[in-house]
Amino acid sequence: MKKFKGLLLISAIFFLLGGCDKDFIELNTNPYAVTDLDPALLFAGAQRSHLGGWETEHTIVQHFVNPFNSGATLGPNFNADIDNFNNGKWDGSYPNIIKNLVQALSLLEGSDRVNLRSMLRIWKAQVYMGLVDTHADIPYSNAGQAFLKGSEYFYPSYDDDAAIYADLEKELKEAIAALNPSGDFVSADLFYGANGSAKTTTATAQVDKWKKLGNSLLLRLGMRYSKLDANKAKTIVSEAFNGGVMKSNDDNAWVKYDGTLFTNGANGGLVNNNPYFYYAAEPLVEQLKTTADPRGPFIVATYANPSNPLADPKPVTDLASQFGVPVGVINTDLTKPAYRGAKGGGYNYSQMNVNVVASLTAPDFWVTYPEVSLLLAEAAQRGWIAGGEAAAKQYYEDGIKADIKRYALYPKSSAISDADIATFLASPGVAYNAADALKLINTQLWIAYIRNGTQAWANFRRSGFPALSPNKFNNLLNGGFIRRLSYPDYELAQNRTNYQNAVKAIGGTDNLTTRVFWDKE
Amino acid sequence: MESLEGRVAGLNITPPAAGAGSSMQIRLRGQAAFAGANNAPLIVINGLPIDQGARGVNGLGTPRDLGDNLSNVNPDDIESMTVLKGATAAAIYGARAANGAIIITTKSGRKNQGIGVEYSSNYSTQHALNFFDFQTEYGQGTGGKRPTSGANAATTGHFAWGERLDGAPTPIFDGTLQPYSANPDNLFGFLQTGTDFTNTIAMSGGGANGSFRASFSNTDAEGITPNNEYNRKIANVGINHNISKKLKLQLNINYTNEQQVNPPQIGTQGPGAVNFFTRLATSIPLSALKNSAVAANGTETLTSGFQGTLLNPYYALAVGQRYETERNRFLSTATLRYDLTDWLYVQGRYNYDFALSFTESHDPGGIGTSVPTNADGTFKGAYNLSESKGTDVNADFLVGGGKEFGKFSVDANVGGNTWRVKNNGFNQGSSNFIVRDLYSIGNGSVRSQSYGFSQYRVNSLYGWAELGYNNLLYLNFTGRQDWFSVLNPEDNSELYQSVSGSFIFSELMKNQKWLSYGKLRASWAEVGSSNGVNPYDGLLTYGISQNQFQGQTTASISGNSAPNRFLRPFSVEEKEIGLEMRMFGNRVTIDISAFDKITTDQVLDVQLSNSSGYNTSKENLGSLKNSGLEFLLEVKPIQTQNFSWTSSWNHAFLATKVLSVGAPSEIIVLNWGATGNEFIGQLRYVEGLPMNQVYARTYLKNEEGQILLTDQGRLIPSVDYVSFGSSIPKHTGGWNNTFTYKNLSLAVHFDYKLGGVVISSTALNANRQGHSKQSLVGRREGEKGVVFPGVYRSNEQPNTTAVDPATFYADYRNNQMGDIVTFKSDFVKLRNVSISYNLTDLMRKSNVLGFIKGLSVTASCRNAALLYKDIPDLDPEAIQSSGDFRSGYENTSLPTTRNFNFSLNAKF
Repeated sequence: MKKFKGLLLISAIFFLLGGCDKDFIELNTNPYAVTDLDPALLFAGAQRSHLGGWETEHTIVQHFVNPFNSGATLGPNFNADIDNFNNGKWDGSYPNIIKNLVQALSLLEGSDRVNLRSMLRIWKAQVYMGLVDTHADIPYSNAGQAFLKGSEYFYPSYDDDAAIYADLEKELKEAIAALNPSGDFVSADLFYGANGSAKTTTATAQVDKWKKLGNSLLLRLGMRYSKLDANKAKTIVSEAFNGGVMKSNDDNAWVKYDGTLFTNGANGGLVNNNPYFYYAAEPLVEQLKTTADPRGPFIVATYANPSNPLADPKPVTDLASQFGVPVGVINTDLTKPAYRGAKGGGYNYSQMNVNVVASLTAPDFWVTYPEVSLLLAEAAQRGWIAGGEAAAKQYYEDGIKADIKRYALYPKSSAISDADIATFLASPGVAYNAADALKLINTQLWIAYIRNGTQAWANFRRSGFPALSPNKFNNLLNGGFIRRLSYPDYELAQNRTNYQNAVKAIGGTDNLTTRVFWDKE
Repeated sequence: MESLEGRVAGLNITPPAAGAGSSMQIRLRGQAAFAGANNAPLIVINGLPIDQGARGVNGLGTPRDLGDNLSNVNPDDIESMTVLKGATAAAIYGARAANGAIIITTKSGRKNQGIGVEYSSNYSTQHALNFFDFQTEYGQGTGGKRPTSGANAATTGHFAWGERLDGAPTPIFDGTLQPYSANPDNLFGFLQTGTDFTNTIAMSGGGANGSFRASFSNTDAEGITPNNEYNRKIANVGINHNISKKLKLQLNINYTNEQQVNPPQIGTQGPGAVNFFTRLATSIPLSALKNSAVAANGTETLTSGFQGTLLNPYYALAVGQRYETERNRFLSTATLRYDLTDWLYVQGRYNYDFALSFTESHDPGGIGTSVPTNADGTFKGAYNLSESKGTDVNADFLVGGGKEFGKFSVDANVGGNTWRVKNNGFNQGSSNFIVRDLYSIGNGSVRSQSYGFSQYRVNSLYGWAELGYNNLLYLNFTGRQDWFSVLNPEDNSELYQSVSGSFIFSELMKNQKWLSYGKLRASWAEVGSSNGVNPYDGLLTYGISQNQFQGQTTASISGNSAPNRFLRPFSVEEKEIGLEMRMFGNRVTIDISAFDKITTDQVLDVQLSNSSGYNTSKENLGSLKNSGLEFLLEVKPIQTQNFSWTSSWNHAFLATKVLSVGAPSEIIVLNWGATGNEFIGQLRYVEGLPMNQVYARTYLKNEEGQILLTDQGRLIPSVDYVSFGSSIPKHTGGWNNTFTYKNLSLAVHFDYKLGGVVISSTALNANRQGHSKQSLVGRREGEKGVVFPGVYRSNEQPNTTAVDPATFYADYRNNQMGDIVTFKSDFVKLRNVSISYNLTDLMRKSNVLGFIKGLSVTASCRNAALLYKDIPDLDPEAIQSSGDFRSGYENTSLPTTRNFNFSLNAKF
């Protein structure tokens, strides 16, 4: 009996030892997880990249202002370096967009989907260009690869901004060259795919659009060198132009929001959270008023109660009644005799038009034909492309006309007749003349870039136009403008060594007045 | 569980003030692991191990406390509760007890007793305690001016930078005129008295071969916030039966049904009554907030400039915001033991734990907005349903025996265990309502649904042996091997062992009359655990978007963590020595122990630079040390026939240190920013420093230590963040006194926690919005602003510039400076006073009531008095959630309460 029991015991132990981790692999596999999918879907999910915000980029170029200084709202509106406002592009690019673009590219290694690959590279270049324009040196060659390459890439080093631009130029050129009209059709593309805002159905048509998009980005990149190295600018610009850039509003890279499942996130604050904080800035309103800009009524409006603009059934949009909040004035001063005083829950000033440009269903534009046309106007004026002043004037007028027509895509806008456009183009302050060409062209770009804050700010720094007066509320910027945003505070905590090396490389201080490499004084 | 508070050295229990049915924070010997791991001790109920499972407020998107697993046990059903500290607990219960174990045994009747019935009833009331001491000199307004119109007042309700209160009629947010005077108790006018009524009836009996007990209890509770209700029913059966002389059966079944309605939202700057009432100017009367809560178009009337974050709870009550959850839990254990011989036995045990819960919530669309519709014309609002189910099976066998050989004794056993867990859950939601305020799935034009599933298993084999010599010397050895399914198959098991010994030196000193018992003990133990690794970690997965954009399906990588397939178990190594002595006829007892616990290879969410594309990655890289001293002294100064007085004091000293964090920066930052609107401070683990360091910026100073200011007299922050100290208290303890006179006994209990630090977001907001007494500095009689004592940075001359107080105090937040909002979390409290009277003797003497075999009544008061604290305007215990992510950060928890309790216990 004892022997039998002993045997039972021992056999039980062996049985258990043998079976101790049987089935574990199957047990630890999630039957419902998606571990493999078409990288084109990742591309579609990463196309809506960060465009710049009202309270940051648009405030810096004086389109928009929040005059309240009550704590959470202190930022570029009073020349202050606040992490909350500096991090938008960084936080909106690396963890969502770049991570997915990099993963999609790695999934395509060895595949024959050359067009999808090129689109990913072009779009990645677009995102990085925005990051460099915002912060100067940034992580680039080692970024976004924590999963793909492991722990050595957990804390990426920062690359030099000029070197990144050179690589972006190479990326764009190579990607454009690799586009193949008889290659794959990327139906998931949100711009030109099967469900795109400018649909195409064949690879030929889609490749044609992407070539134009790629070259337009190259044109933008080339123009950035205008202050630093005119020859280099000329080379890149003419190459882009010869490659073929956007020719009409049908080539625009844009998306629309249905208002139910998806709304325009950047406008959420203006409409839903304390609207009485947000106003149009005086320089923008003055420009629209003095030139009687037909786009004015779509951009700004006044409401019966600034703390609830959506409730007003009849907002006032005629330009004569519009007044922008002056830059650098604190809200408690707005009730003093020199200013227009309180109204409803806010102040008696114009706000952004929440039914059109700042609507929750307003579309988003990344690269547009009006922008391209205006940049070509400047290129022609400088002699970087053929045609001289006559071509410059043509591009200039075409650009403005196209931009006015572009507003047809916004909700609740109305058509502007060709006659009105012609009147506008001939009016003083808008009519083209060679002496003021740069000022005229770049002021129109400043208006065309409304809701693309990153480009509005970059072009303002590059061209110096419009001739805005610096925010004199305090001397934190030494009487100048914000030339870059500082790095996120947590980089100092988490990526200390690389962060400190980068700060040294950009000049020693991580502040708002250090300049990006192309922003020569 | 609260009865253990301050009575066991090293056991730190904090019941967060989180509403009726909320969870507890239980920590034995400190926080053994970084936040995010399960740091509570294991609860073992009749041999069934269950995690405490606190579903507490963690700030990470869960603003409601949904209780924990301890609520499944009725305290009246508990026969015994033992606390096993240290890793020796793990030697018996495995990796899950790495943080210690609380062993609970429920009653199963007693042999050879006739049928008896026991009834107990418990009624308690909870009264919110008010420690707020805000300023009552200035009312609503900005820039030194009171509101001029209703519309103007509606956007400045959160600021008290107005004029001096003079009682004159002044417009408030709803357009009416109200006296411009102080209303300091608005929050407490909103809160109500909480109540808790529990009744238990139990029947037990026993014969020669066994015994049983069956009980049923019902609890009805109302929290201090209106509409917060909690009901719990527990049915418990325990059976003990000797099937034959050698075969014994033990069966325990416990079924709990809990219904929790509207647990209050706390712990973030956002929804919640406390957040609302304590951040509005004192000149707004409570009646207006109640009567004018609903605007003409059905949305919430605008009361302040923080429309999305200060939400009027009266509005939520008026429009039916609701959160209701029902939990069913079935816990059962069956144990069969067979005595093979008189020294060898075999035991098999099967535990089955089944949980089913259902939650439904209504989120009205008018909260925090003035626009009732979305961009597409549908109505705002959301409805959510979820159901989850879990089964936990624990089966084990044990073969053991003991024999004596002369003066030596040997006890040994060998066994194995398999623990299998399966969880699944459904979630459905709808929003963008077609019909206004109709909360149903069918009414939503945007719908979402998800299904979650996970399972894992741990198999173990273990053995234990104890050698004894002459009742004098004992030596224990344990060995255990666990196999974890969640780890990489190439390295998924861990073997760990422990050895301990005790020396009962009083046996050698039997002639010493003063010493009745003395034991010296020492132990060394190791535990391995996969705590922190979840099933399916290690694989990169993609999320396909629920809705199509422009008609196009999009996808992205799921989550922000870079998966790691190569995670190993982490190990805890603990050394302990202890001394226990009972002296002077058991009138003096001393128990001292010192321990040192090192955790290595802990699985951590290592913080990456997010430019790597990911925010975190799990790695086996964390290492930390918890060491301390625990001390218990019990004295019976008076012991006579009728009167006795027992006094016991326990104290624990805990020192922690982070040994490694696996990142080259040597720090890990836990970001509170992810929780929504928190704007100051960071919790860091820094190599070489104690755990849970609270970091913020501070004043920029020159070499002489003078504070530097701008030319406008305003603050300049230091470049780097600095440490304000650790949030973990260094000293915890309690002092109990029990006085007994015949049948009357009085217990008085104090406890304290000292040495931790906390950043108060209530203070931060109260300063920058003008509510705190601190914010009066700068606008007192004769002052025209804040002249801060410092020197100008430009010329180092003393500062004479006055700064508008609103701007000055806002700078602390803008610059992330923690100086005037960091406090000590220390406190000393008179925790409990209770009187109880045993009427059993009285009953026995009476003829009519002789059938009553036992009767006692108790009255007690909990949180009777707060004797010392450092943090202004709050109870230091109103700061914790039961998790560890918010350690050191206070953010609008409910006020703590003073509870009065009356209970009656009768045996028939």
